[in-house]
Amino acid sequence: MSFVTTLALAVALLVAVPYLAHRLRRRRAEERAFAPSRLVAPSPPTARRRSKLEDRALFATRALAIVALAVLGASPLVRCSRLSLQRSGGASVAIALVFDDSMSMRAEVGGKSRFARAQAGARELLASAREGDAVAVVLAGAPARVVLAATTDLGAARAAVDAIEQTDRATDLDGAIALARGLVATLPQIDRRVVVLSDLADGTPEAAPLGEGSAMPVWIALPELRVPASDCGIVAADRSGARVRVEIACGRGVTPNGRDVTIIDAKGATLVKEAAPATEHPEMWLAVPSDAPDDLVARLSPGDAIAADDVAPVVLEAGPAAIAVVGDTAGETAATGGAPIVEQALAALKLDVAVRPVPDVFDRAEDNRPFVGMILDDPPGLTPEQRRAIGSFFESGGVVLLALGPRAAAAPLGASLEPIVTRPISWSATNAKGGDPASAIGALAESAQSLDDLGAKHRAKLEPEDIAALDVMAKWSDGAPLVARRSVARGEAWIVTLPFAVDASDLTLRPAFLALLEGWIAAARERTAPRRSEVGGAWAFPGAQSVTIEGPTGPVATTRDGALLRASTDLVGRYRVNVDGRTEVRVAAPAAREIDVRPRAAAPTTGGSALGDDHAAVDVSSSIALLLLVILTVEMGLRLWTGRADTAVAAE
Amino acid sequence: MTLVRAAEIRKKVDWGSLAPLRLRARAVAEGVYAGMHRSARRGAGVEFGGYREYTPGDDLRWLDRRSLMRHDRLLVREFETETDRALRLVVDASASMAYRGSRAPGAKLAWSALVAAALGRISLASGDPVGLAFVGGAAAARAVPASGGREQFERLVGALEAIEPGGDARVDREVIDRTLEPLVRAARRGTIVVVLSDLIDLPEGAEERIAALASRGRVLVVLQVLDPDEVDFPFEGNVRLRAMEGEHVVETDADTARARYIDAMEALRERWSDIVTKRGGRFLRAKTSEDAVAVVREVVEAVR
Repeated sequence: MSFVTTLALAVALLVAVPYLAHRLRRRRAEERAFAPSRLVAPSPPTARRRSKLEDRALFATRALAIVALAVLGASPLVRCSRLSLQRSGGASVAIALVFDDSMSMRAEVGGKSRFARAQAGARELLASAREGDAVAVVLAGAPARVVLAATTDLGAARAAVDAIEQTDRATDLDGAIALARGLVATLPQIDRRVVVLSDLADGTPEAAPLGEGSAMPVWIALPELRVPASDCGIVAADRSGARVRVEIACGRGVTPNGRDVTIIDAKGATLVKEAAPATEHPEMWLAVPSDAPDDLVARLSPGDAIAADDVAPVVLEAGPAAIAVVGDTAGETAATGGAPIVEQALAALKLDVAVRPVPDVFDRAEDNRPFVGMILDDPPGLTPEQRRAIGSFFESGGVVLLALGPRAAAAPLGASLEPIVTRPISWSATNAKGGDPASAIGALAESAQSLDDLGAKHRAKLEPEDIAALDVMAKWSDGAPLVARRSVARGEAWIVTLPFAVDASDLTLRPAFLALLEGWIAAARERTAPRRSEVGGAWAFPGAQSVTIEGPTGPVATTRDGALLRASTDLVGRYRVNVDGRTEVRVAAPAAREIDVRPRAAAPTTGGSALGDDHAAVDVSSSIALLLLVILTVEMGLRLWTGRADTAVAAE
Repeated sequence: MTLVRAAEIRKKVDWGSLAPLRLRARAVAEGVYAGMHRSARRGAGVEFGGYREYTPGDDLRWLDRRSLMRHDRLLVREFETETDRALRLVVDASASMAYRGSRAPGAKLAWSALVAAALGRISLASGDPVGLAFVGGAAAARAVPASGGREQFERLVGALEAIEPGGDARVDREVIDRTLEPLVRAARRGTIVVVLSDLIDLPEGAEERIAALASRGRVLVVLQVLDPDEVDFPFEGNVRLRAMEGEHVVETDADTARARYIDAMEALRERWSDIVTKRGGRFLRAKTSEDAVAVVREVVEAVR
């Protein structure tokens, strides 16, 4: 604080002047001798009382005026508690705001939600931005998404921040920071940084500290948001007949002990109420009347840190998404000593899918309906009945993962792999030295490095006509497709030119295989959309002409990606989806990991004051000057009023 | 308006423009007609007043022997003489009489002393004895026994100039009696008693005891001496007033209290006037801002 500022603030001491003047004016009248004072009646000192009332108002306004003058003299050096950007040498900066709109931001801190505080912080940051600064905005609700590409239009940035709304999505901070970093990495500003406005509760509190090792400075502002909270929520409520399965998820060390689960109908009547088990991840079965209506709601009460996940619509006849796995069970069990490797991998991924091994591809289309995806591990071709059933499965948006191996190449007469592969395949030896990591795209991109030394003596070979129809996702080192996909009707087929058996290759032992399964299941969910899906996930409507969605708070917009209509959910709850006149009910459920409201650690470098500050030197002189003008106007009004009152008294 | 502190007032008399008392009193007295009263009684005297028929019991020394011898008639010679109409001045010297407002030429006690001295000089010039007594006053206040002669005026003036206001008549309830009892004993029939007081802060019953002076053929004149401020209460705004006798303090809004004060003062005057008049006395009121000559003349007229 400079000497001038101190001097200006010292002017505030003059606030005592009107007070002293007020006291002098209001002091007791000087005593004077008066012989017949006993004849004087002690009348109410109305004049003094009047002056006391009026003087108080005048005193207040004059004292305020002096304080305002002092602050005006000290501005713009008055420091306010608000976020601001620090800039080295006054140069322009490029900032990427990572704004957490996930469900954990619904928890309150300081009497208001973390989301509201983060939004206020973003506005404060933008207020401290100057012309020439570039701003980008990324939302950290999973999946991370760009709200505003880098721009120097601060008005657009402010509008973008204002338009951000709270969602119930999970948190993807790493993805959001990576996106943000990419948005400002190529900007001309030398000073580039990522600003994170989040509670860092992304469900992975034990993960590496956020911002650690980042090439671009990351400033995690608003440390007050990083407060652990205890929360439990209903992640699944499925009804099967007269029973409702309620699955509850809680944060680490938190149980729903002392809370009740209630099943309520649309009119608010309680059908059943039971105490929740005192475990971190309890599952309950509650009996409801057999004639209970379809629109039931499961509620966990009393409330906790986040209310949004305490209520979940009950999904009728639903359950986890089912995956049918068709493979050589006997052979793989013998080789691994346990469940087939595919089933083990799916269990390890914990993707909330029900894996159902089936001995063979179903002949009837209705048998395929419970499944959202089908894994065919080296099938010995498909019979005509199976092809029709598979075709119907594709028509309904099903997704198939086909692993080609020696049995597929030796399909008996009359059996083929249509409509996935139209030409015969061959199983031949290969000299290719593993996969080509550089060719990997999509879900395989991140772990493609593990395919570098993929060991396989043989591989399936596709005919050029089939290769031409494929969208190759990863290639062998010689350019042949290793993983590819193609659209079939409303569904999609993923093709791997190696079987999943461990004696054929070590593909299933590599991280890329898990990434392949995860990506494929995501595609299956996206296309087939089970009745309950994780909030934030995208619904795709391939082949649909018209889609309308009514969500918990109103219509949900759809986007068209080429010929494909897509929609995403922001809030948990029940959605009524109308696809070409056919209405279905879907439920968006919270992600279990988002219920763990424990903040992730932050790297020490993310709190540096060189990046930003919680206290800003704000030029408030214009506001104070306006306030001073108002005070002086009030003071004049008071004096005028006082004068009129005195005149009226004198006239009386 | 000049503020006057009570403590200072109690110490000495603020003579103002009324000093020196001796010269001022002479000037006032000369402005008043002197010797305006003559004896109403006939009897032993120095100037022949005529004859009247003898009635049994008459003093045979005044039997006119020449008339008896020439006309054989019993006539008694009568002589006119100026009666002994002594003037007794009673001046209130309590602390309240020390008050002087901004519009007065001097304190009430100073102005009362001027009037008293002027009355004394007039009376002495007529050959009447004049006495002086104080109600209250400092310990040094001394009464002047009734006497005549040129020196008596000097004694009167000396006593008046030496007086210092003091005493709380409300507390010292016998202050009236100490002054009036010797006066009652000494004042014979026809004595004129002039009481000069503000009549403020006197003890209960003072009205009756002072009015009783009008009995037994004495002539009583009560002159209420007030400062102009005490008449019209000219203060403004919030005032804090302390009585000059006792510790009474009143805080009030002057504008609001003025009317009630004037009413109270008027009620005081009426009470005194009623009581004094019923006993045969005369009640007068004067402001210290008034011309002393006119007031003295009014007093003289009142006793005729």
